[in-house]
Amino acid sequence: MSCPELLHTQALMDGELDSAGAAEAARHAEGCEECRTFRTDAARVSGAIKTDLARHRAPDALRVRLAHALDRETERSAPVPLRRRSFWFGAASGAGVSALAAALAIFAILPPSAATLADAITDAHTRAVMSGHIVEVVSSNHHTVKPWFSRHVAVSPPVAEFAAQGFVLAGGRVETIAGAQSAVVAYRHGAHEVDLFAWPDRGSPLPDVATVHGYRLVFWKQNDLNLAAVSDMERSELDRFVGLVRSEGQ
Amino acid sequence: MDDRRRRFEAQALPHLDAAYNLARWLARSQTDAEDIVQDAMLRAWRGFDTWRGGDMKPWLLTIVRNCCRTAGRASRQHMPLPEDEHGGLPSEDTGPEEAAMESSDSQRLNRTVALLPEEFREVLILREVEDLSYSEIAEVAGIPIGTVMSRLARARTMLKQRWMAEERP
Repeated sequence: MSCPELLHTQALMDGELDSAGAAEAARHAEGCEECRTFRTDAARVSGAIKTDLARHRAPDALRVRLAHALDRETERSAPVPLRRRSFWFGAASGAGVSALAAALAIFAILPPSAATLADAITDAHTRAVMSGHIVEVVSSNHHTVKPWFSRHVAVSPPVAEFAAQGFVLAGGRVETIAGAQSAVVAYRHGAHEVDLFAWPDRGSPLPDVATVHGYRLVFWKQNDLNLAAVSDMERSELDRFVGLVRSEGQ
Repeated sequence: MDDRRRRFEAQALPHLDAAYNLARWLARSQTDAEDIVQDAMLRAWRGFDTWRGGDMKPWLLTIVRNCCRTAGRASRQHMPLPEDEHGGLPSEDTGPEEAAMESSDSQRLNRTVALLPEEFREVLILREVEDLSYSEIAEVAGIPIGTVMSRLARARTMLKQRWMAEERP
């Protein structure tokens, strides 16, 4: 390696030069056999590495050990919900959805803890938002959406239009949360989705607010129903939405 | 569920395979690599508040690389050799399924890279596999950018010479 420009040629190849430097290096490389050869050889090596070099993936057993180790670090005494285990195996793993269903089935026997309830609602919300399957009935008209709920679920949620206040009714769907059927009224607020979950009040306590993975939740009871609003929008906007729903319910 | 824990998992987990791959290529065995990754991830968790945001990959790989160095120093009592006493090479400690699926080209390349001196193997993996920039490699490996560039050039030349040499009948 005797050419003093060799490292510039390499930097050109690696995209590390600005346009002026790149132009200069390219000019040199054209006239320099050593640099041209280096570039060709390095490109071959790079190609071989990309196709043939072993890329090791973390074994499942390591992932599980890590999850346990982090648990011990955070000194959790509550058992880890199955949903979190499945998170470690990646979204592509089919174990994710069935593990959640299994976890929900277990929790149906007992009243859900506040943390589990917030987790379950956030899970359902993010699943819907990410899959794009936010509503089963598509309508911004409460005259259409409210009767749809009475046909599909044994819960009569508050369904009102707040388009003038910036929350556009998008429609509705049904979710199963902690073993119970929940009516979900979906709204859009700018770029954000906000879901209003409604399920029967059986007397168990609700948390006030929660934050799960960046999503904000507000809980309250209204007319024999448990209600939860969940969204990634700002706290003040979510509070405004909750205020609108509560005043409609009076 | 702890919010800090969730944020850490969301940021760090996407890079777990990259962390493990680097450890496999720098450590002496698969078991060592697993221990190193576990140690590194715990250190990352404990130091999470010091992370300044942005792409977590270089930050994590810096921790992994430093753990590899510490582990290597502890187990070495002589001049560093790519082969340990049992004849194992970094990254070659694979199970029968993995080995059976490797083509002969792969096997040859893996062996050639595994036999490179560690400082060359390291910059090569960080550049060619992890697509880190020169300045990110400098951060991960704890060396000046000029050293990154010269090591990378020597690594590529060395690999090409040895790899081509094996090809000739």
